[in-house]
Amino acid sequence: MEIKKTGVAGTLESSDIQVMISKGSNGIEIELDSEVKKAYGDQIEKVITETIKNYGLNDVKVKAVDKGALDCVIKARTLAAAQRATETSDQPDLEVL
Amino acid sequence: MDKVVDLYLNQVSTRKKWKSFLETKGIHDFSDREIDVIDHTLGLIDDEGNLVATGSIAGNVLKYIAVSNDEVIAGARFNKIVSSLQQYLFSNQIFHCFVFTKAKYSSSFKHLGFKELALSEQAAFLEYGDPNIEDYLNNLPQVHDQKNKKVAAVVMNANPFTLGHRYLVEKASNENDLVYVFVVKEDLSLFSTAERMKLVKEGTQDLSNVEVVSGEEYMVSSATFPAYFLKSAAELIDVQTTIDAKVFKNFVAPKLNIKSRYLGEEPFSRTTNSYNKKLQEILSPEVKVIIIPRLREKDKIVNATEVRKYIKTGSLDKIEAFLPKTTYDFIKNNLLELQDRIKKGTNVNGN
Repeated sequence: MEIKKTGVAGTLESSDIQVMISKGSNGIEIELDSEVKKAYGDQIEKVITETIKNYGLNDVKVKAVDKGALDCVIKARTLAAAQRATETSDQPDLEVL
Repeated sequence: MDKVVDLYLNQVSTRKKWKSFLETKGIHDFSDREIDVIDHTLGLIDDEGNLVATGSIAGNVLKYIAVSNDEVIAGARFNKIVSSLQQYLFSNQIFHCFVFTKAKYSSSFKHLGFKELALSEQAAFLEYGDPNIEDYLNNLPQVHDQKNKKVAAVVMNANPFTLGHRYLVEKASNENDLVYVFVVKEDLSLFSTAERMKLVKEGTQDLSNVEVVSGEEYMVSSATFPAYFLKSAAELIDVQTTIDAKVFKNFVAPKLNIKSRYLGEEPFSRTTNSYNKKLQEILSPEVKVIIIPRLREKDKIVNATEVRKYIKTGSLDKIEAFLPKTTYDFIKNNLLELQDRIKKGTNVNGN
């Protein structure tokens, strides 16, 4: 799977997370901004990394701004951003979820 | 529940409502310079139909953001309006945006994941998205062992590239191991960004230690700096220079190990003179500011403004002595097109 452009999903509103995915060259690099980073940063990054790996992407830059999203939301937003970045939104691979 | 709506400012009643809302929030500058560049405006409407928040987009810059603060959950409306503006940008394939705002609002934007590039007493400059300033700097050409090299920078609009610019770059090139020439990116000049880049590149091709690169949005131009949130237009140059210098000092210089910045002396223009002084004040001691006296050709100072005036009148013989051959040939070959642009209203004076 190849990243064709920047893809983004989610908002900056409470309980959501905005995930922006673009082409990287050095594995999965995540830049996370969250008020609960101290407590949940590792967990959020883990969910993002797993979702991206399951989608078949390896070199990805991720910028995520978390506003207290639950894991299921993080997964869904990451998946949507990945689909947009790879221009595969019309062939959703929902099993990744 | 608040509802997001499009506001069409060309409708008189909408514009009036929007304007009076902003005025209650302390924004009073509605000059053409600020308004004409707006691409789209959004508003938030509460259950009673009152406008409770608004924000606008100009290119990739967020402007005129104001939120009524009588809300139930602090910050919710601000988050919603900024999110909605971003959705609008994303749907237009713009993934990188900027905001210039009052210094006290910097933290509100930082809270939403914006990164602060510069902060002065009056203003803050922040960015969001991809590619950001780190990506920009990582993509600039670097030489081996740059940490231990003597590196300098020149920032220019080069509208167009003259022998005066060339003299400045040459001087920096002789005195350093590596010189970055940052060409200001804005398309309000007589010569387009691409043309200015091309002429600078061609005019410095023989200098092997010179790298000509685009300044992107990180060399802040006064032509595009929004001033609507400032107390008076007179502050514009001062605030813009401060922000510009701080981005350079905070991010660009440390990353590229730039230790000095070369400037042309400004005997005539008071604005550029105060710009140079301000730059010196902010950049030193980390970055040394070196001011070079202007090149004189037959006792006349080589100056791009003069060149543009003679393009207007078509007297190319008067400017040949001021220009590198590459720039002169370009002007000669494109004279009609350039004169046409002047006729259509591109300003010849200014920078």
